[in-house]
Amino acid sequence: MSEVLKQPVIEAPALKLKSSLASYLPATLAVGGALLLTLWRVRAGGENFASDGGLMLCALAAYLIAAAFYLLNLYAPSSLFERIGLVSATLGVFFNLGSWCVRWIAYRDHDVAIWVREGKPVAEWPWFFRNIPFANLYDLSLAFAFGAGITTLLIAHRKNFRFLAAFSLPLAALILLLARFIGNDIMMLQPVLDSYWRPIHVGIAALSYGTALVCFAVAVVYLLKDGVKVESMAVWASIFALLVIATVSKGTVLGLGTVFWGFDVTAVGSYGSALFLPPRFPLPLRAEIPYVGWVLFASGLLLAGVITLFCLYLFRGDERARRLGHHVLKGALLAQGLAVLMLVSQVKGLENVAVCAQGERPASTACIDTRQYERFGAWIRQQQKQPAEQIAATDPAVLAREGAALARERQGEMFLSLNANPVELAALITAFAGTLFVIIFGFRTERLRESLPSREKIDSLMYKTAGVTFAGLALLLMTGAVWANESWGRYWGWDSKETGAFVAWLTYGAFLHVRVSRGWTGRLAAYFAIVAFLLVIFTYLGVSYLLPGLHSYA
Amino acid sequence: MSAIEETKSDVAVRQPPAAATAERSSPSFLTQVLNLLSSVRFGVVLLVLLAVACMIGMLVVQQNVLPDFERYYAELTPAQKKVYGALGLFDIYHVWYFNALLLLLSLNIVLASIDRFPGAWTYISRKKLDASPKWLKGQEQSATFVVAGGGRAEAAEKIADAFRAERLKPTVTEKGGKTFVFGERGAWNRLGAYAVHVALLTIFFGGFMTAQFGRNGNMPLEPGASASQIREQVINVDQFTVRTHHLDFEVVCTDIQQVLMRKDGAITSDNTLDWRTGIKIKDPEYGEHEAVVSLNNPYDWRGYRFFQASFTPEGKARQVTLRATPAAGGEPQDVTIRRDGSATLADGTRIDLNDFQSNFSLGRTQPQDEDESVVYRNPAAVLAVTPPGGQPSKAFAFTPEMAERAPFAKQPVAGYTYRLVDFEKAPRAHILAVQKDPGATVVYVGFSLLALTLCAVFFFSHERVWAVVEEQKAGEFDDAAGRFDVTLGGNTNRNKLAFGDRFRRLVALASGQPLEVKES
Repeated sequence: MSEVLKQPVIEAPALKLKSSLASYLPATLAVGGALLLTLWRVRAGGENFASDGGLMLCALAAYLIAAAFYLLNLYAPSSLFERIGLVSATLGVFFNLGSWCVRWIAYRDHDVAIWVREGKPVAEWPWFFRNIPFANLYDLSLAFAFGAGITTLLIAHRKNFRFLAAFSLPLAALILLLARFIGNDIMMLQPVLDSYWRPIHVGIAALSYGTALVCFAVAVVYLLKDGVKVESMAVWASIFALLVIATVSKGTVLGLGTVFWGFDVTAVGSYGSALFLPPRFPLPLRAEIPYVGWVLFASGLLLAGVITLFCLYLFRGDERARRLGHHVLKGALLAQGLAVLMLVSQVKGLENVAVCAQGERPASTACIDTRQYERFGAWIRQQQKQPAEQIAATDPAVLAREGAALARERQGEMFLSLNANPVELAALITAFAGTLFVIIFGFRTERLRESLPSREKIDSLMYKTAGVTFAGLALLLMTGAVWANESWGRYWGWDSKETGAFVAWLTYGAFLHVRVSRGWTGRLAAYFAIVAFLLVIFTYLGVSYLLPGLHSYA
Repeated sequence: MSAIEETKSDVAVRQPPAAATAERSSPSFLTQVLNLLSSVRFGVVLLVLLAVACMIGMLVVQQNVLPDFERYYAELTPAQKKVYGALGLFDIYHVWYFNALLLLLSLNIVLASIDRFPGAWTYISRKKLDASPKWLKGQEQSATFVVAGGGRAEAAEKIADAFRAERLKPTVTEKGGKTFVFGERGAWNRLGAYAVHVALLTIFFGGFMTAQFGRNGNMPLEPGASASQIREQVINVDQFTVRTHHLDFEVVCTDIQQVLMRKDGAITSDNTLDWRTGIKIKDPEYGEHEAVVSLNNPYDWRGYRFFQASFTPEGKARQVTLRATPAAGGEPQDVTIRRDGSATLADGTRIDLNDFQSNFSLGRTQPQDEDESVVYRNPAAVLAVTPPGGQPSKAFAFTPEMAERAPFAKQPVAGYTYRLVDFEKAPRAHILAVQKDPGATVVYVGFSLLALTLCAVFFFSHERVWAVVEEQKAGEFDDAAGRFDVTLGGNTNRNKLAFGDRFRRLVALASGQPLEVKES
């Protein structure tokens, strides 16, 4: 495909330089503004200033507004929409970085308060960089979203790539939403993390993840431009959403838990939210949130219907199935949205957690599912440092009795919180967002495709972002290895997080090699970029929440 | 496509004889194997397989991840244990097929590099200096324009100046009545990928050296104790054995310290700023040396590195401050005694600090609970008090609050009652990790090379532009003399967007007027 530039411009060198620098103005303003905000925070003190959580929510809103206006601009091009989009994206990055910087000062204030109380002289206070906010997953999420935001702004210096914000910023907003669910409690820094390698290593991680997110967005755009059918995308998005619904709440919604966790069949159609003990001690115990399970179950059925109908269309060319599939897809979106709304409102609204009698459900109460007692009993014994083999050999009825006894004893103290299920909540919202985007793609698809730059240009951008991600992940692995060697005496130990990053790096390596292999370029490369980003997300979240290892703090 | 292939593609290709074609179509088995091993597709397949193996290693808890593995293993069914064990999934990163994958990947990198390097080298050694207008029009970027006035050499020089302005090094040649201007930048970038692969092989080699010649172990150290060997735990699924390695020198522990965030808090890691172990190396060859090993600050001695690894979670004191009050009346005296040290009172009474208990309890028969021990609920110093010329007697020093609840604490020993005024918390022992790793330096060299080459590869590119200047044929215009057709074309190996910008600027500079640029 070739295109003709109608108005090449001859510019005087000074003018050219000015124009080139001006194109980076949004990124410069966002970063500069955040630094000024930080100085203001230092002068004003914590009590008279917005919290990092508040600023993060501003960033989230700004990202969503920017994405909405850029999306509108794709369908109905307007310089006003584009300007609003750019200003919102700039504000989003400003608030995002500002939130992270303000958190740094909050960490410092927290430590200083302790040292002042302990009477430690200023000369003995540890260095300022000890407080760089890279201590937990919340901090990393803020930096990750910033990495994605700033990459989007830097790419936006090319006017014809500004549209990318419509696809990358909603993902950055999802990362911030996850951060909101994780919670912004300030925790004491683990001593081993008090190393100058931490900001280097984790900083590179955040920026690499951010670039990977943008690369993912570019790959999706490439597939769209390349003519991949929206129905095909809907199938994949529905499979993802179905997997999410099948695995949340230990698999009780669709009955997967009966296979893997030994729950009985009656658990199907229920959704349990994890519980906390004060102040925020997580328990391996869930309380049922009324009706959410059944709405999710219905979503699952609708999504399965979408998959079936669109597969009929894709493999047999059944036009009727295609039309019906789009209606079912909209139904699935509504059901997913309803489930998320019901879940969030009830987790915030239900005041009591209790062990309920059979068939009873008192008002404003989340009932603890009694089928979890055996697992809860085993967990209690683990806390008592009982050997694993001994626990495994214990009669399940005994474990269930012990679990039930403790649940009854502490039921009055247990409480629900959005922070108790951060990954599940974020996954449900991501699945909803995925379905929403597929529906958007299905609206005037050809017009949307025409608004996008040429396939070659998108491909070139995909290669560039993947190359930077590959280099970034390599630096991440190397700095992590050097840090590990300096702190623990081994540069590589196959820890789950380092292996996860290594796997993602290998996949980006495969992407780069696929491009130099004739016949494998184009879509296959885009699929590799998508899989690689999913692996990055698995490394970022899955390892921290699901797998044991040295990186469980973040 | 190499520079030579590009040149060849400009000329007509002669058809090979049929016999030669037939001969070429049936390569030997060895050639087929080598072709497979050196193919990029095979490399991609190996990368995917390696990624899958690593994913399995992440999902199946590995035997060295303690104590999680114990719990995981205990929950598996006998069939799962048997199958996973037989497939080596509990230690997948050291199983033969994983090593074979790494070996194959290394071989693939070497062979693919050998296969492709000569082609890449021609971009540097045999540059393509000319090109036909037709070929140029098929490039990623191309443009045509007319230059009027002056001769062909002047026109070429004007274009060369534009190349220089855009930081493309120009070379002007003439052939067949045409003038060619070739400009390029970053030709070395073609070799970047090979340098990346050399860096990866260096890291692999370093890893191999670590696996073969490295030593790793632990050394628990209590103040006053010494050690001349390290203990390495060897894990085989649920079986543990300990292997010891003898050192050529002795390590004496002189002090251990735990720097706490809150002095009144527990000696847990979330209340700790640093762990410091004072050591003295007694080396028969190199004499005695003192050092402090602290967190993230290891100490090197004769190829061995000493790191802070963990500590024994049993609450002790690094030093205590006692107040000895004469039973007969008089001024109390404060003395500070280091761990296992002693102090002498004004009348010559000697006080030895024999022990410190963080959670003292009378008649304790079982060792105290770890969690209780680190929080110092009922701290007590166990003393041996020796009056001048007398025999040592056992005494306890409690905090004033605790002494109020313990009647026996009020009874004098050797003429004094003792109170614990202050103490510095410290654990019973520190555990140092000791490592000897001849591969680490090689790996670091590989890392440095990889960092440099990755930046060189992904943040630079090889950009090439050609211009053909030819006189306009008579008849095209009334006055064709002094008018030259210029065809410009170029390509790059990466960063096509930035190259497009440069090309547009170049065309504008060379032509001096707005022009249409074709972008393919």
